[in-house]
Amino acid sequence: MPFPHDPILHALVLGVVLCSALLGVTSYFIWFERKFAGRMQGRVGPKHVGWEGLLQPIADAFKLLLKEDIVPRAADKPLFHLAPLLAVVVALMGVAVVPLASGLVIADLDVGVLFFLAAGAMTVLPTWMAGWASNNKYALIGGMRAVAQSVAYGVPMVFGALVPVIFAGSMNLSEIVAAQAGGHWFLWWPPGPGLLAAGIFLMASLAEGNRIPFDIPEAESELVSGVSTEYTGMKFGMFYLAEYVHSLVGSALFATLFLGGHDGPGPDLLALQVVWFALKTMAVATFILWIRWTFVRLRSDQLMTLCWKWLLPAGLVVLMVAAVWARFVPGRTA
Amino acid sequence: MSIVKPCLDALRITFRHLGRKPTTVMHPFQPRTRAARWRQTFALVHDEHGEEACIGCKKCEKICPSEVITVVMAKKRESPATGQKRGWADDFTLDLTACIVCELCVQVCPVDAIVMCRAPTPPGGAREDLFLTMSRLYANEHALPRAPITGTSLIASHQPAEDVAQ
Repeated sequence: MPFPHDPILHALVLGVVLCSALLGVTSYFIWFERKFAGRMQGRVGPKHVGWEGLLQPIADAFKLLLKEDIVPRAADKPLFHLAPLLAVVVALMGVAVVPLASGLVIADLDVGVLFFLAAGAMTVLPTWMAGWASNNKYALIGGMRAVAQSVAYGVPMVFGALVPVIFAGSMNLSEIVAAQAGGHWFLWWPPGPGLLAAGIFLMASLAEGNRIPFDIPEAESELVSGVSTEYTGMKFGMFYLAEYVHSLVGSALFATLFLGGHDGPGPDLLALQVVWFALKTMAVATFILWIRWTFVRLRSDQLMTLCWKWLLPAGLVVLMVAAVWARFVPGRTA
Repeated sequence: MSIVKPCLDALRITFRHLGRKPTTVMHPFQPRTRAARWRQTFALVHDEHGEEACIGCKKCEKICPSEVITVVMAKKRESPATGQKRGWADDFTLDLTACIVCELCVQVCPVDAIVMCRAPTPPGGAREDLFLTMSRLYANEHALPRAPITGTSLIASHQPAEDVAQ
């Protein structure tokens, strides 16, 4: 291990490096998304700033930094300033427990899955904070929708994440990855419950991150821009960034829980493991983009119907099947 | 679960589009193909006797939705060519800055005096370039190619022509 043995120093160094890297990756992921969406719609995407628009994220960041920072007169100022910052911090929190390679994890918690789900559930806090502090009816409605949605979808998300936990017999993400070693990824092994759980988890994590097609808290056609209506400049940029970070970290967790994390063919090298992990995360993130640029936004009541009438019972059934499988079928389960 | 198939179909369609060539034309850097019936500016024409065809009836001024046409009517006087009395326009201006290119003036003209032209390049961004005085309108008559269908024949022509590259 090339990292210091003091756990606090280890977490600090690795955390700063990983978070900086993730923010850089995020800004180029936005470039990738714009190119991807462009090609999907027969357009070319960003083209003019740098080769094939590669400098566009930097130009956008400068544009956002130079914009006027407007605060509504009647806003709750401390909360208004705090919300975008908290949004990014909360979105980045999940990185702490995701193992990039064997041993390469900021905090190897025994309750990693629980920590991640708790951190994910906390995204509702800055969203609601922004909605309340803006003193704007659209922001308020958006904030209330975000709360309803996140609280509802937290439940099927937990059910989806519990299936790998049952199979691996541990909430430690490193052990979950170890249980999938050799290509026995929980997505297809054991066949059935893993795949269903992955679908439920993916849908729920899209909804929890307020991504299209579940972006009703910022439904542009109804709510101007939802919770970020009153935000300008870099504060708006931070909400934007937080949404993408949340999506990438969610993809990373999906890759860890269902796609075997850093498991892949080839020699057991740290660098290769990181590459496998990055490839899987990008594949999941691209799949999310594919969904985003294909489907239209659900209505509020359809969203709740999907959660309470379909995902929740399906999650319970899948959980039951997984538990029975883990108890009675001998093999690669703890 | 009738919703699953449409969802998969939608995903399949968007995935297929990923490999498709973009249809974007990088317009200021690449020339755009103009449709066969594309037209953008106006001309006033002379009749078969070589006289100004406009009789100054102000019908175009009245029908213009954005009110960009101004016609100054002159007194009726004898035509030098035919010897018959007819109307004349003392002045005729058309402001392209607010023109919506609806071509109603062309359709309403009883003597087919105003026509649309196919200019090869846009008329320019300066405001004075877009203000067509009477002399400029008459200069356009021979300077620019005519639109394929002009005058009252526009009303009869409801069949769209086939679009071809210019």
